[in-house]
Amino acid sequence: MPEINVTPLGAGQDVGRSCILVSIGGKNIMLDCGMHMGYNDDRRFPDFSYITQNGRLTDFLDCVIISHFHLDHCGALPYMSEMVGYDGPIYMTHPTKAICPILLEDFRKITVDKKGETNFFTSQMIKDCMKKVVPLNLHQTVQVDDELEIKAYYAGHVLGAAMVHIKVGSESVVYTVSRNKHAATAWIDKCRPDILISESTYATTIRDSKRCRERDFLKKVHESIERGGKVLIPVFALGRAQELCILLETFWERMNLKAPIYFSTGLTEKANHYYKLFITWTNQKIRKTFVQRNMFEFKHIKAFDRSYADNPGPMLIGKFKRQCSVIMPGYCVQGTIGHKILNGQRKLEMEGRATLDVKLQVEYMSFSAHADAKGIMQLIRMAEPRNMLLVHGEAVKMEFLKGKIEQEFNCYMPANGETATITTNPSVPVDISLSLLKREMALGGSLPDPKKPRTMHGTLIMKENSLKLVSSEQALKELGLNEHQLRFTCRVQLQDPHSDPDTLHRIYTHLKSVLKGYTIQHLPDGTVMVESIVIKVSSSAEDSNAKVLLLSWSYQDEDLGSFLSTLLKKGLPSGLC
Amino acid sequence: MDRECVSLLPRVCEVLAASGSSLPDDTSLEKLLDWFTEVTKAGTSLLESCPCLLEFISSVVHNTTLDPSILSFTLRLSGLVAVTEDAFTVLQQSSVLDLVFNLQHWQEAGLWEDPCIRIGWIQGLRTMMQHPKALGFFVQADFLKPLLQLQTDKSLFVASAANQMLAHVLLSCQSVSSVESNGVDEEGEDVGRSSGSIADLEYPAITVETNQDYAAVVTAISECLKKSLVPRKNSQLHQSLQILKLLALLLAQTRAPLWEKLLQMVADSVYELLAAGYSQLVLPLMDVILAAHSDLVHTAQSARVLLLPLDIITGLNLLTTTADEQQFSMVEQLKNKTSCISMICVCLTNTPQITLTAADCLPCPPVLIVTAVLSLLRLCSGDFSSSSSSSSSCRDVSRNIIGSSKVQKCALEALIALSGSPGVEVKLPEVVTLLVQYLDNPHSDPTVLHKSYQALVRWMSVCSDLSSITDQHRQDLLQVATKRSCDIRWEVRDSTVEFLGRLAGVSVVQTTAEEVSDASVALLGGCCFTTPLLRAALQDPESYVRASAISALAQTLAASWQQGAALTQEHTEIVNQLLEVLSRDTEGFARRAVVRYFIAWLSSRSSHSSPPPLASSSLLMPSVRSVLSRGSADLDWEVKVHTLELAELLLHEAFSGQRGYMKGNPTQTHPYAVIPDTLHTRTHNEEDVVGELNSLVQWGVVSALLSGLVDCDRPVALRACRLLMTLREVVCPLSLGALDATAAMAMVAKVTCELPGCGWAREIRKMLATKAKDAERGCSVGEVVDCDDCGEAGQEAASGGGQTPCVSVCEVLRSLDLDERLDVLTRSSDHVHNSPFSLLQDILTASSAHSQPDTQQEVIVDCY
Repeated sequence: MPEINVTPLGAGQDVGRSCILVSIGGKNIMLDCGMHMGYNDDRRFPDFSYITQNGRLTDFLDCVIISHFHLDHCGALPYMSEMVGYDGPIYMTHPTKAICPILLEDFRKITVDKKGETNFFTSQMIKDCMKKVVPLNLHQTVQVDDELEIKAYYAGHVLGAAMVHIKVGSESVVYTVSRNKHAATAWIDKCRPDILISESTYATTIRDSKRCRERDFLKKVHESIERGGKVLIPVFALGRAQELCILLETFWERMNLKAPIYFSTGLTEKANHYYKLFITWTNQKIRKTFVQRNMFEFKHIKAFDRSYADNPGPMLIGKFKRQCSVIMPGYCVQGTIGHKILNGQRKLEMEGRATLDVKLQVEYMSFSAHADAKGIMQLIRMAEPRNMLLVHGEAVKMEFLKGKIEQEFNCYMPANGETATITTNPSVPVDISLSLLKREMALGGSLPDPKKPRTMHGTLIMKENSLKLVSSEQALKELGLNEHQLRFTCRVQLQDPHSDPDTLHRIYTHLKSVLKGYTIQHLPDGTVMVESIVIKVSSSAEDSNAKVLLLSWSYQDEDLGSFLSTLLKKGLPSGLC
Repeated sequence: MDRECVSLLPRVCEVLAASGSSLPDDTSLEKLLDWFTEVTKAGTSLLESCPCLLEFISSVVHNTTLDPSILSFTLRLSGLVAVTEDAFTVLQQSSVLDLVFNLQHWQEAGLWEDPCIRIGWIQGLRTMMQHPKALGFFVQADFLKPLLQLQTDKSLFVASAANQMLAHVLLSCQSVSSVESNGVDEEGEDVGRSSGSIADLEYPAITVETNQDYAAVVTAISECLKKSLVPRKNSQLHQSLQILKLLALLLAQTRAPLWEKLLQMVADSVYELLAAGYSQLVLPLMDVILAAHSDLVHTAQSARVLLLPLDIITGLNLLTTTADEQQFSMVEQLKNKTSCISMICVCLTNTPQITLTAADCLPCPPVLIVTAVLSLLRLCSGDFSSSSSSSSSCRDVSRNIIGSSKVQKCALEALIALSGSPGVEVKLPEVVTLLVQYLDNPHSDPTVLHKSYQALVRWMSVCSDLSSITDQHRQDLLQVATKRSCDIRWEVRDSTVEFLGRLAGVSVVQTTAEEVSDASVALLGGCCFTTPLLRAALQDPESYVRASAISALAQTLAASWQQGAALTQEHTEIVNQLLEVLSRDTEGFARRAVVRYFIAWLSSRSSHSSPPPLASSSLLMPSVRSVLSRGSADLDWEVKVHTLELAELLLHEAFSGQRGYMKGNPTQTHPYAVIPDTLHTRTHNEEDVVGELNSLVQWGVVSALLSGLVDCDRPVALRACRLLMTLREVVCPLSLGALDATAAMAMVAKVTCELPGCGWAREIRKMLATKAKDAERGCSVGEVVDCDDCGEAGQEAASGGGQTPCVSVCEVLRSLDLDERLDVLTRSSDHVHNSPFSLLQDILTASSAHSQPDTQQEVIVDCY
């Protein structure tokens, strides 16, 4: 039976980095090629030696598909293509292709800052890698090769994030990042894939809690500002930064607040530029507002300069006193100040043995733009997959969602390095010739009905990548072949003290009496014919009473032929004349 | 081992041994193990320095209710601890070791199901297997059997680790046996070295009995290889795949006699597999064949196997004789499009390697292989005219590769690699014609175009004789390059621009009078054609293309710079355009390229012997000055680093040969290193130094260095700090002492630079003021510090906010505590928070937060 294999090299029951291998219909596809932020050495990249030890990934992989621009989904791409050796096609949407290099460049910079880091890609490698990327448009079917096709759908999450439908023959897989609150507008065909691979980061949270979180967030910001404090929000995920900007901008507008909001990085500024550029790729709500003004052209949010930090008065970002707060909108890995602050450490060791007291309020509010259980169930209803496969989530939380899904579907959640195998039942479309159908109808068959499958007989012709069921005569004609006749022969020894012609006549009479309703002929050339079966008689040289009967029949009369040979082996009854 | 860490470790062990759930950050345990590994590698015994580890291991091993990640960590830690024989004995005597690696123990606890336990078990054993005692332990416990089973584990990671471990065991046993049986130390060392990790270990006291045990292990593994190689059922394909991977691993690492023994054992099975034609096994099988082809007989054989598909598709007789059945089965395989493409790609990837082998092993001369690759490339683009394959089945096969960019890329890659083979130069015109056709083909994929350009540059650089290139070739190439430089896809435009630059960097000999020129001149007519194209590309909407255009311009003009050609109007315009880019372009790539352009120009000027014409210099130096000021104020860290590189060039130009001047990193030179005499050729002349320093200040080099020093990008600050130290060594070496220095170099001390009141200068002023205060305090205590000027300079600098004050360069250099700063800057930016101590602290804090969940908000690890 044909099967689809899914092996996560990353994101199997964890949230480290996504890298999922799918083999479907003889094609091997890599979904995402992410980087793990928790390591400073080669472990941050997926270990491609599991795929091949010789480093020639192109021999094995047919294509790589990147779902969105976050580094845990695309960070290992230049390493893979330029350092390990992959020369095949890489697919991602236009906005992802535009923003991806910005993030990769930024990460390269951070890496250079960390001494002792080796084996990292250069700017040139990032460019060379991006040149191998084939950009995707939404809803456009792209033919990777003759058999493999992919199609991207809007996924929400962050700008340019996509769901991808991968199809080989009649087998298919849909891969999607989990989607954020704007994803309600996301839509996918009822494509009934064999597997839907979905992220499950917030498998246990429910949509409404996100609204609450946003309200909480704005409340906390407002409180701090009212107290005359400043708020620092270190946002390190693009997309999330834009989401928070929109949130703050709208809130400021509504509450008529005056405290300045500063944005400190050139990186986000650059990304904002792309958000403006690719406005058509964002959700409907943002697009509608765009008619009035570009949502990414902020009125209250300004670029930050270091000197502003000392300015008195409230603002978002700055120098901090007790009434100030820091809001962490996402997780920070071990080995960073962020991690320590998140963990609740109030004393931080700094360079040169100095220590720093954390006096401001620390709030952790997860704003990661991932979907919750409800969103995933919605998606399942839309696409109607035969099986579900969960990735990119904590094992315990995945179990919860799995339990929920399993009430309706088969659900898998392979760990990293483990393979989930799904047997598929591919239906192969075949054309049927009209004459064959007519013949079937003439024999009393009903009109073809997709709901009532039935068996048909005919000859299957495989020609120019298509399959056709025709009658055998038509097949012969089309293929220019001659029909071959197949005959069986057999000898039967018989004791009969008569001349050969008499024996033949006795056989004729015997058969006439036994086989009623069959055409039996005694032909002048010294043979007896029963349907297609020919019987001849000869006697042996030594003993004229020992007769040898020669039987021969065509394969269509196989049953009758073997019946006759058994019958004649028993000898002829004595009363025959 | 750090004492602070050792003091925290017992508590960390307690926390880990008691925690029922995994740590919130799953990298913590991994990093902890990293630290232990580092400590072990440094030669410290873990057990001696942290006795608490023994207690930790034994308590964890008995507590199977712990989180599997902690158990797995403990398994690996046990292996690491037992890496020395002494510690191994201690572990064994305390009966911890037997339990740690006891399979049954884990199976009964129902934990073996968890892949992380299995992987911990394998990796723990693997780490431990560095001495004969561990090997003996392995053999006696009969771990080989479970290991062979794990080889086909459902987890890819476990299976792969098991494979690695099996190879390790085999190699260890091999070296042990060979030490014993040969009794020759040399041999043992030799084999040991091949296996890498066990290189430095000796194997004393091996009895005949244990030696037999090892031989038994070797036999068992090779038997298993032989037996399981050919799948009997479809479900065994996975097993065959794993065995092939192991075999490739082993053949690449083992040596005679084991290598031969292995090959003998499996040869029949390998041929059987080849004949069976499992499409899933083609690639790993090829790896085995390649790993096996290190002797002559096998080389010739594998060359034939690898060239066969090329032979069939192109119809060129690469192989004079081929067994019909072999040919037939190959044709059958090639008829399937997918397997055809993958076969031909493997063949093309390895073709260049084949040509490297001895000529008598080659079935045909390299030039014929080049012909075949060219013919294949033509087939790919649907051109059957030159194909000499006659039979219809071969034609069917050829159709499979039409339009396949995968095959095209592989073939172009092969063409690039084949360019260096002997006797292939005659193919140059044909290669150029084909590549130009590829470049012109509207259906060519951008990546194929990129490779075509690369191939063209490569063939140009290898075949220095271009007499065979016709005017038609030149014309076609000109046309196609012009067309492609306006392609709608930026990738294509970028490749084209990169090509124009690279071509200019290739020097070739033209027939007429052996005149040497660059390939750009020979093929495209040089600057007059390329410069306008590149200048147009400066306006490209894509910043990558703009950056490539700038680099290409630098490469194109390099020749005229080196020859010291007179300045043209065009060149002046380009320079103005580039300066504009530096101050206006929104993207870093283009601005980085501009600075690199000036680096190239400046260094070419300093490299050629004759003095530069005034005209060229009159443009260069003012430009460099504005590059320095704009570049050091840039937002992009790499622009700033490049700007400092430019400053370094000027520094080098000014002081090379001067006493105290060391190019590069001053801290890297050993204090007793012999300084080459050439560095002293220029006599020490204070006037020279003053003059040069003055001009450095005027060009803005000093300002660039100072602003770099206080930059928040660490690489920038580091580079600036090193350069400032270099400068200090030349103009006011600390070694002279303050008094001597002022006396000897009074003139130099008078050279001043400006410190305006904003940005970087304010930071420098602050630093000087702090230093001055410290110095004052020092004086008041009664220390003899003759540093009045310095104090004044600092105060003056700090207070003078209104007008732009001037400070002595020497004073600044001496007061900035550069050495201290360098010390900080050379360390990693995260060295404080990513240290082992910090890690241990984090584990403790996380666990305390975990034990009091009410006081702390939950930290969800949402993503990394």
